[in-house]
Amino acid sequence: MERPSASSWAAVAIAWILVGIPLAWGIYQTLQTAVKLFR
Amino acid sequence: MSSGLLSKERIIAGPGFNRWLVPPAALAIHLSIGMAYGFSVFWLPLSRAIGITASAPGDWKISTLGWMFTLFFVFLGSSAAVFGRWVEGEGPRKAGVAAAFCWGGGFLISALGVRLHQILLLWIGSGVIGGCGLGLGYISPVSTLIKWFPDRRGMATGMAIMGFGGGAMIGSPLANLLMNHFKTPTSVGVQETFVTMGLIYFVAMLAGAFGYRLPAPGWQPAGWTPPPPQEKAMITQRQVHVNQAIRTPQFWLLWVVLWMNVSAGIGVIGMASPMLQEVFGGKLIGVAGALRDLSEDQKTQVATIGAGFAALLSLFNIGGRIFWASMSDYLGRKRTYFIFFALGFVLYCAAPSAGRAAVVPLFVAIFCVILTMYGGGFATIPAYLADMFGTVHVGAIHGRLLTAWSAAGILGPILVNYIREFQIDRGVPAAQAYNTTMYVLAGLLVIGFIANARVRPVAERYYMTDDQFARELAGKR
Repeated sequence: MERPSASSWAAVAIAWILVGIPLAWGIYQTLQTAVKLFR
Repeated sequence: MSSGLLSKERIIAGPGFNRWLVPPAALAIHLSIGMAYGFSVFWLPLSRAIGITASAPGDWKISTLGWMFTLFFVFLGSSAAVFGRWVEGEGPRKAGVAAAFCWGGGFLISALGVRLHQILLLWIGSGVIGGCGLGLGYISPVSTLIKWFPDRRGMATGMAIMGFGGGAMIGSPLANLLMNHFKTPTSVGVQETFVTMGLIYFVAMLAGAFGYRLPAPGWQPAGWTPPPPQEKAMITQRQVHVNQAIRTPQFWLLWVVLWMNVSAGIGVIGMASPMLQEVFGGKLIGVAGALRDLSEDQKTQVATIGAGFAALLSLFNIGGRIFWASMSDYLGRKRTYFIFFALGFVLYCAAPSAGRAAVVPLFVAIFCVILTMYGGGFATIPAYLADMFGTVHVGAIHGRLLTAWSAAGILGPILVNYIREFQIDRGVPAAQAYNTTMYVLAGLLVIGFIANARVRPVAERYYMTDDQFARELAGKR
């Protein structure tokens, strides 16, 4: 079976950044609420 | 848009395609539909859609709006069950596009419902049509991911299903931002927010659907060979047709496994935050006294801490999805569910003791671990099904199994609410009324443990013959 091309990893990085940024923002927002538990 | 553009044949990946492009496509869809969990953010503004600053005569009650949740999960389960076979036959791209139209379109119909102040349009738009979008979107990437990651089935489906748990983390604060932006002295801003979010989700889901690719027949990851069947009897290399799968005891045992795990988890999610507030009361803010003895200001502070606890639990819920599903690739699916039920039983029974001992960190830690296993149960079940029934019909089989989720959406809340009401009516103090509920939920885990213990490899007669399998493949091309 053929291994993925080196350039395909750039596309993988872009795709993950596109879904990762909103997910990270959502996690940050949730952490801001969650931290109230520890104050 | 021609049907060719969406057909399965168009999305067979060429040589050298990178399989790691498929999980973000699946995440784009699951993060969008996961907003279903965050819809309560609209209840308060919608309950004063006429009065704007306060509810006025003719405004909707929150209990009326809350029916949308019920519709979401009933139609998620039923559409996944009804359309699962269609999704397998037509491929993930067409299913993802259909889900985008249903979910995004549901928001637009709901916006019209807000404009005309017709609750029926909200129920049909978001609840029924959007609920069908949930079902289609939820199952659309499952079998595709399992086929791309035969070596890490649990991790692959865990990544997508993590998105469903995380969707509300993005959607709820986004909805708040948009409602604040759009609100005017004559509008609460929900109508415009529905339109904006509907369009955002439509585009994101289309992008995800068009990112789906299927592996070519016979494709395997470079350097990987399937394990010999005799070494791992709980992982079959053969195939069971969806119509045969539902005749097997294994399907119904796994149905009970999911039903019990989700029912207990839903019960805990519903009561964790109020339980923390009522059990610890003033201790949470460093003052003596039960919750009922606190001033209104102190109660607000305690409620804020309760909201923080709920947020923390949602993080552990999504973390558990990727953690446990990935772990199941090493532990095995059956052993992973044994851990859920055995460890879960201990923790559900220990929670009241942590409350009695007034140890807040222990109490919080117990619930956090419980929530990882609730999420993990969702994320690990597709790989369990693929192990038992093969990969060809796993999407359709998973769709039918999700009716257990709908059943859990009924059983969990009913158990929690009725047990609590029954105890309070009999004079049990509010802070102690949760204890019996936790023990009953632990009992559900015992049932799940027994069902999981009875799961054995599927009997020979249920597998497709080579001829049937060849005809099945020919029919799908």
